[in-house]
Amino acid sequence: MITTIFSHQVLALRRQRVLLVLVAAILLATALAGALGWSSQSTIVRVFDEATRQLAASGAPAPPNPFLLKPHLSLLSNMVVYIPLVGALFAVILGHISIADEESSGLGRLLFSRSMSRAQYTTGKILSLALVLAGLLLASFAVSLAALLLVNQGISVADLGRLSLFYTLSWLYLVPFALIGMITVLLTTSRSLALLSAMGAWLVITFAVPQFTSGLRPTQSLNPIIEPIGLSQAFFQATAKAQPLSIVEQYKAASAAILDTAPSVAVMDTVARVMPLLGFVAILTVAAFALVRTHDFSRSASHE
Amino acid sequence: MVLLVILVVVTAASVYIATAGYASKLADYDAYRAAAQASGLDRIAPSPMAPLSLLRGGLEYLEIIGAVIAIALGYLSIARERANRTIALLQSRPVTGGERALGSFLGALAVFATLVTATALVGILSIGLIAQDWISPSEGFQLLLAYLAALLYLGAFYCLGAITTARARASANGLVVSLAIWLLVVLVLPQIGDTLDADNQLPGGLFQALTLDRDGETSVMAHFTGYEKTRTLIEDTSFAKHFERFAFAMTDVKDRYRPFTLGQLLRETRTDIIWLLSATVALFLGLRRTYKHTPSTGGNS
Repeated sequence: MITTIFSHQVLALRRQRVLLVLVAAILLATALAGALGWSSQSTIVRVFDEATRQLAASGAPAPPNPFLLKPHLSLLSNMVVYIPLVGALFAVILGHISIADEESSGLGRLLFSRSMSRAQYTTGKILSLALVLAGLLLASFAVSLAALLLVNQGISVADLGRLSLFYTLSWLYLVPFALIGMITVLLTTSRSLALLSAMGAWLVITFAVPQFTSGLRPTQSLNPIIEPIGLSQAFFQATAKAQPLSIVEQYKAASAAILDTAPSVAVMDTVARVMPLLGFVAILTVAAFALVRTHDFSRSASHE
Repeated sequence: MVLLVILVVVTAASVYIATAGYASKLADYDAYRAAAQASGLDRIAPSPMAPLSLLRGGLEYLEIIGAVIAIALGYLSIARERANRTIALLQSRPVTGGERALGSFLGALAVFATLVTATALVGILSIGLIAQDWISPSEGFQLLLAYLAALLYLGAFYCLGAITTARARASANGLVVSLAIWLLVVLVLPQIGDTLDADNQLPGGLFQALTLDRDGETSVMAHFTGYEKTRTLIEDTSFAKHFERFAFAMTDVKDRYRPFTLGQLLRETRTDIIWLLSATVALFLGLRRTYKHTPSTGGNS
């Protein structure tokens, strides 16, 4: 029965135009990240050449080669920004559609007339969302790999491993947002309220929490290179304790460590950053199972 | 309501965070001014403090979260009419599509005015009470202009949400389309502009890594005018960036605007004003056209 729910959900999402939009947006974002990375590389080369020429003309020594400071996978550093922005928002929408469409179409009423438990239903739903997200990220991985091969003229086995690990982490980051999209439908009585509540959660996690715990203004969160911010205020001395719970910051820091675009840290430090994310997934999964168990599927959610 | 509460809370928090050390720096300047006056100095250095700049975080939240609220309101205005089947009823009355569009737009502006006023009051009170610096009437007028721009900005996103929802067979699809546009205009395009900044290519700055000072940077960048133009052009295509530039100029966020008079500020930001006005008018006309052609029955969610 889990397989039935799983395959029905994947089929329903494939039939949705929204899914096409999501795939196109994710691929576009990945291509954009690659193009920006390429632009960044070529800008550095041209600025370095010009600086060397001007310094040589004035008799000054050549500046240090900035590429020694620029890691290979930094080409994809914009993906670390796009996953929490584009990916997470779309994961919310996927999760929302997976439950809300069944209620709108009245399918929710029929579902449990079959010999199916609510746990099987939830498992099928979560697995299908996880698979669709994995498919999206796999396509994005392919585009990233192509960009790296094109710009860097090749990729080492170690970098390929880092890239795979980064996409695995990104998948883990997106799953809770799909769960949030599901849970808000189960918690609210109207479809619009559900979607807006889920988006509210996304905004808080992505923009508000980092400002509270690290003083990052919303637009600072959009830049892949973040300058350190002084956190000497008493306010931050209190709120910085909650920094491990800011999953977007943990994701960005772990991604930077995996892609080697940040100063080296111990492997266990990176693992420690992933733990809150795993905890978040576990809590939301338990909540989804509990809410599906008590949800009244006989109601029709044609309410806006 | 949930998003409104989030907006007000984060605005207050962002002002609180921005006031770190502000009150003590202000006290230092007041002490310097008192000492200078007591010693009979003719020329006293002007205050380097810019209390309005403390509202930067609040304005950024309006730019990001406010736009989502506006889209949501636009979506709800159409989706509720569809769900309650009031469109056919409205069309049976002697009300034109243009009047319905104007009524709906003005209603939305009234909601946004409440939201913006709440945010402004929270910001002004936070500056006064936390940073111990109350804004002057001229600063208040500049702030008023910034928030009027915010009203136009939110109005434009309201129209966008309503247009895409009304044009989609399923309301939720319209919402997704407007959110995709929001993502592009508010987050992606401005981010591209920042990311392409030559100095932003390395942590700490590319020119610092190349051991170049400000003169060296200017000299090198003189060879990249085409690149800089492209970068500016990408940023210019973002309607949100124009709101941001205007609001930041009015609230002294950028140092270079601080010595300017209001007239100079308005001249400097005239392109942003034209963008804000024309985008809002264009989207309103789009809404008017949509209302005129809205069928009496719409798709479900």
